[in-house]
Amino acid sequence: MIANRGEIALRINRACQELGVPTVAIFSEADRESLHVRQADEAFCVGPGPVGHSYLNIPNIISTALITGCDAVHPGYGFLAENARFAEICNDHGLTFIGPKPSVIALMGDKATAKRVVRDAGVATTPGSNVLSTIEEAHEAALAIGYPLLLKATAGGGGRGMRAVNEPSELARAYASATAEAEASFKDGRLYVERLIRAPRHIEVQVLGDEFGTIVHLGERDCSVQKPAHQKLIEETPAPNLSAKARDALHEMALRASRYVGYTNAGTLEFLSAGDDAYFMEMNTRIQVEHPVTEMVYNIDLVKEQIRIAAGEPLGYMQKDLVARGHAIECRVNAEDPRNGFAPAAGTVSKLVFPGGPGIRVDTHLYAGATIPPYYDSMIAKVVAFGDTREVAIARMERALRETLVEGVSTTIDFCLEILASPEFRSGRYDVEFIPARMLVNGRAGQPAAR
Amino acid sequence: MTAHRAYVGIGSNLGDRRANVEFAIDAVAELGAVARRSSLYRTAPWGNRRQPWFLNAVVLLETELAPRPLLDSLHAIERTAGRARRERWGPRTLDLDLLLYDEQRIDETGLHVPHARLHERAFVLVPLAEVDARFAPMRDALDASELAGVVPAEREGLAAMPDVPTFAGERVRALAQFLAQSDAVRVRIARGDDDVVEIVAGAARAESPEPSTPHSRTETPAERVDTIKADLVGIFHSSRPSPAAGEVFDADRELGYIEALGIRTPVHSMGAGRLVAATAVDGMPVEYGQALFSIVRGA
Repeated sequence: MIANRGEIALRINRACQELGVPTVAIFSEADRESLHVRQADEAFCVGPGPVGHSYLNIPNIISTALITGCDAVHPGYGFLAENARFAEICNDHGLTFIGPKPSVIALMGDKATAKRVVRDAGVATTPGSNVLSTIEEAHEAALAIGYPLLLKATAGGGGRGMRAVNEPSELARAYASATAEAEASFKDGRLYVERLIRAPRHIEVQVLGDEFGTIVHLGERDCSVQKPAHQKLIEETPAPNLSAKARDALHEMALRASRYVGYTNAGTLEFLSAGDDAYFMEMNTRIQVEHPVTEMVYNIDLVKEQIRIAAGEPLGYMQKDLVARGHAIECRVNAEDPRNGFAPAAGTVSKLVFPGGPGIRVDTHLYAGATIPPYYDSMIAKVVAFGDTREVAIARMERALRETLVEGVSTTIDFCLEILASPEFRSGRYDVEFIPARMLVNGRAGQPAAR
Repeated sequence: MTAHRAYVGIGSNLGDRRANVEFAIDAVAELGAVARRSSLYRTAPWGNRRQPWFLNAVVLLETELAPRPLLDSLHAIERTAGRARRERWGPRTLDLDLLLYDEQRIDETGLHVPHARLHERAFVLVPLAEVDARFAPMRDALDASELAGVVPAEREGLAAMPDVPTFAGERVRALAQFLAQSDAVRVRIARGDDDVVEIVAGAARAESPEPSTPHSRTETPAERVDTIKADLVGIFHSSRPSPAAGEVFDADRELGYIEALGIRTPVHSMGAGRLVAATAVDGMPVEYGQALFSIVRGA
């Protein structure tokens, strides 16, 4: 059962087809004409468009899996992918949840708990507090850690419930607004505070673990090109301008933390990197949007590996067998208007041309005539470019994005092209503040500085 | 009873095509009465030539269902057929198209009548012209090469058919043969005490090929058709005795239940009415929003 939609549902279906595994797709009434519905062997409508009634409708999803005789559930990313309770319910009904054990999802899903756990494993984390219950506790913790600070929601994600605090006088107001936002977004207003690392890079490490205790890493991905609110836009591997020492340290920390929690299946450990220092930020206990760049340089199908691991197969290789080759970059094509604060754009795609040629991979659920429903994530395609060197990969990405035509909705394509052309990106010397800083120079929300 | 005339195109290119098409005709008959049906045609695939060949047919359905509930019901039949053969993974086994509905022109999301493929495709026009002579000129206007791709499927097994066939599809076929030879206007078929189907057909229809317009029939203004849909995913089970088309209930009637995760959720008629179509099949999986029953209110 593919418990997801969009490009990742297609991605999972492709892996299953190649493995000879029959698939059952689920869909909402708004996705009836979506590609994953057509490509899966069977498809069941599980509810109306809004996600709470369909893609998060656990009873209908489980019922579909049971009446169609599914053995396993692949949750993709988002929706129920990091819901430990859902993983548990799957297992209770004799369905294998394709991911780590529910207890590990629960452990690593709570950001504050995850930090404590990896700290116990000997991995560096940003100096931070436990979960705070009052503003007085926040003041106390802030004093111990030192300004500038970052207030974060313990249930957070996507930058919601997050506030930068530069000095003590700002703390009370930031605390109130962050807790309110976290409460509204996650029904959990609890916060914690940590040291703010200025202009860090966001670098993450991919790991794979089987059920026999073998855990390997598949290198790192630099995801520092982020829109405001910490949403990734361009990812690449290997990370540019990273010393061998820093790179090895990241890989080693990821393995150490994964081994410590007995991690199985695919996972990603996110780090904030500054110079040769790196601090564990959080772990994503699922496949990630940007997994294709890793697949390109390691020539490994991560989704197939997830299914094989869940089926109880050993990895069959060790760390020394894994050698990365070349460079890969991913650009996310979102149905958004970059000139209007990246506001999501729903609508119908009238014309559509995707790129091809050497070194290009496109993962998308879009087709000409497709309607983009307003209920879901705005990502409509991932364009991935591979080259022997970073320069070749960039050149291929640029020509691929110029080949791409999406008519009917505004997209992030031109915005990505501007980023690719910028001296910061070219030199590989960029950090998470790169896009917001450029937009600030221009003085208009969502528009990069003209060069 | 206000019957509308709907032409339904049926196609199958997977598995036991003949059984699929016969299943479809039987299932469509549950939505009203099949007044006429074409022969089966073996058709070369249109577009992608590497697809397997199709078996096509067209039926004239007399139904009380409005276009949208009829289309929902046709989709439900498609899905049921796609799942009836669990060993067959892959493309859909059955394709049902609403070709014409009285003289209506409808252009709504997912519902286009007359069907877009009607005028240009031999696999639609050849069987359609067989059941309705008005379409013969359109058929004859097609390219000879296109027409050559549509040939009558051999009709094996007809001669050996027993008097009372056990297979539902065969019964329909026997009936079609009977109708073709008789000048009966109305035929009533009964099995036991239920499953009564009334068919309007025969020579009287053949002599007056002009179809009735919607206005020529008197509609009771208060009459409307409700479609009862599944509101969860599970296995549908019929109540006993199983609800049959034509059944009238004065009050709310439990029509069956959907079993999901060990819990049985009843399916109700939501008040009084007359059952005009039962698309739910006992023991089959149903998805969210799947049409189960159509009920005429205020008749």
